[in-house]
Amino acid sequence: MTTGPIAVLGFGTMGSGIAQVCAQAGFDVLVLDTGEEELARGRERMAAFLAGAADRGKITETDKAETLARVSTTTDVAALAGADLVIEAAVEDAEVKRTLLAEVAAVVGERAIIATNTSALCVTELAAAVPAPGRVAGLHFFNPAPLMPLVEVVRALQSADGTVQALMEFAGRLGKEPIEVKDRPGFLVNRLLMPYLNHVVQSFDDGLATARDIDVAVELGLGHPLGPLALLDLIGLDVHEHATQSAYEDTRDTRFAPPPLVSRMVAAGRLGRKTNSGFRTPAEEEDR
Amino acid sequence: MDKPLTVGILGAGTMGTGIATVTARAGHRTILRDLTEAAVQAGVGRVRQFLDKSVELGKMPAEQRDAAAAGLTGTTGLDDLAECDIVVEAVFEDVALKAELFGRLDDICAPTTLFHTNTSTLSVTAIAAGSSRPERVVGTHYCNPAPLMRLVEVARARQTSDEAYHATTEFLAGLGKVTVTTRDTPGFIVNRFLIPFENDCIRALEAGLGTVESIDQAVTRGLGHPMGPFTLLDIVGLEIHRAVSLSLYEQLRDARFAPPPLVEQMVAAGHLGRKTGRGFYTYDEPRMFGT
Ligand SMILES: NC(=O)c1ccc[n+]([C@@H]2O[C@H](COP(=O)([O-])OP(=O)(O)OC[C@H]3O[C@@H](n4cnc5c(N)ncnc54)[C@H](O)[C@@H]3O)[C@@H](O)[C@H]2O)c1
Ligand SMILES: NC(=O)c1ccc[n+]([C@@H]2O[C@H](COP(=O)([O-])OP(=O)(O)OC[C@H]3O[C@@H](n4cnc5c(N)ncnc54)[C@H](O)[C@@H]3O)[C@@H](O)[C@H]2O)c1
Repeated sequence: MTTGPIAVLGFGTMGSGIAQVCAQAGFDVLVLDTGEEELARGRERMAAFLAGAADRGKITETDKAETLARVSTTTDVAALAGADLVIEAAVEDAEVKRTLLAEVAAVVGERAIIATNTSALCVTELAAAVPAPGRVAGLHFFNPAPLMPLVEVVRALQSADGTVQALMEFAGRLGKEPIEVKDRPGFLVNRLLMPYLNHVVQSFDDGLATARDIDVAVELGLGHPLGPLALLDLIGLDVHEHATQSAYEDTRDTRFAPPPLVSRMVAAGRLGRKTNSGFRTPAEEEDR
Repeated sequence: MDKPLTVGILGAGTMGTGIATVTARAGHRTILRDLTEAAVQAGVGRVRQFLDKSVELGKMPAEQRDAAAAGLTGTTGLDDLAECDIVVEAVFEDVALKAELFGRLDDICAPTTLFHTNTSTLSVTAIAAGSSRPERVVGTHYCNPAPLMRLVEVARARQTSDEAYHATTEFLAGLGKVTVTTRDTPGFIVNRFLIPFENDCIRALEAGLGTVESIDQAVTRGLGHPMGPFTLLDIVGLEIHRAVSLSLYEQLRDARFAPPPLVEQMVAAGHLGRKTGRGFYTYDEPRMFGT
């Protein structure tokens, strides 16, 4: 599909992971962020991730150097002109994304495909901000993007078949496993995950069991890699609140509504791992 | 282990034989009880088979197998459980049956005997109410297959004494189990979260949010679960899933637990999963899953 570089918008957690995945698959990548500091931080994050992989023998030092060399950066939207695929991974803010996508759409050619990595916003609504919205679709990676095999290709109401098809093929070339999903709240994975996590939080709040016992039961009883409360700590309580609130507003389905305990933890600044305060962090004393 | 106990197991079905394997393997004298001689012999045979296989795979020294096999007996008589320090109940999922059995054991077992119920969906409190020593009754919910799964959910009935609860967790630790403590609420922890999740996946399928394959892929590759919901449901059996869902729904009156229409249809059509060659997926040869 592509001859020019892939443009990645935003060099945060997801942007750096996505840029790395693209570069590792041999594509040239041009990353846009708002300032030199943000760009430097993104590059550092990517370099640290690659260094970890090299230390563990997953990639060679040459792989690492070549991957880093394929990624260049800019703060100037005009520099993206040659890109024929844009992957937007800027902050989860509809206004920022709409403005950014419109600016970028004006610079890249009409044939360029524009994908957004949004988790909780409506892809159809974002596509509406772009002229010729048939070229827009969702390309939803999971965190950490270099490790998680699944990618959701989200078909907006406007998405052309060719756009969806091209993104399915592109994800395959990245070594990912794409599934096509509808543009509905949470797409598919988070659509299934959110009510489950809410149910767990409410049950915990109702005194079903301790946080540790809930996680241990799910890990050992169901073989999940991480118990639900540890997973929430990892996702971030604020991110979960935003995603569930937006799904609830969209559907008025109470299973999506953030349980009161989530809102209170966010209000108290207990956001999970990133603040070292959540359901399972700081790690409780092992009681046996 | 401190001291070998005598453990009685009621029901030589899937779970009863699995639990008997666990207790015998840990060195406890184990008495497996079912209603017919044939069921008892089949159960004892399955325990022995598992132990032999463990030796074959190098998971267990032959002497341990020999000791476990020697300590395992079967019976059809409830009176033969008189000596038991612990009786684990794993009969059909029927609250009246379970309560009645514990009531009968009151006259047979010593006052110090602990009564464990392996119920998945019923109220431990209601089962305990059948006993004149309800403070000795504790819910111990093993996972299938019991010899391989480390988790046991321990549920205290309203009547359970601290002493019985502590003796239970200690006993389970001695079996090599990891215990979690849950309130006596339908589905405990694991099924309380698993059943609505599975029903939700089925509803997503009904709603056309994905296909059988894409939903399974989303769950295994996006969430890292060891098995997709439809692969798992085909193994469990749709009629079993329906029964568990309904039991939880009737107790909780929470629509999340109610089996979606597609489940009813699949059961009506005999598309029960692997065992009938067709469930969410189709299979070339029907085969039973289990040990
Ligand atoms: N973190 C996750 O687990 C996860 C998973 C899947 C999808 N997502 C989605 O990915 C997107 C990014 O999330 P993140 O976790 O990487 O956030 P982040 O905060 O780590 O990174 C966002 C980056 O976007 C930059 N940015 C902000 N405005 C910009 C603009 N106008 N132009 C260019 N760059 C801009 C920020 O400076 C920052 O570097 C969001 O839409 C989020 O919903 C996140
Ligand atoms: N199968 C599972 O995955 C699983 C997991 C956890 C808990 N459980 C629970 O374990 C219990 C047993 O389930 P199962 O799958 O082993 O059932 P099963 O049908 O395989 O076995 C039940 C056995 O109990 C016997 N039985 C019935 N009445 C009896 C009595 N009065 N005395 C002695 N034996 C009697 C039956 O003949 C049968 O052999 C149920 O309460 C179930 O909810 C099942």
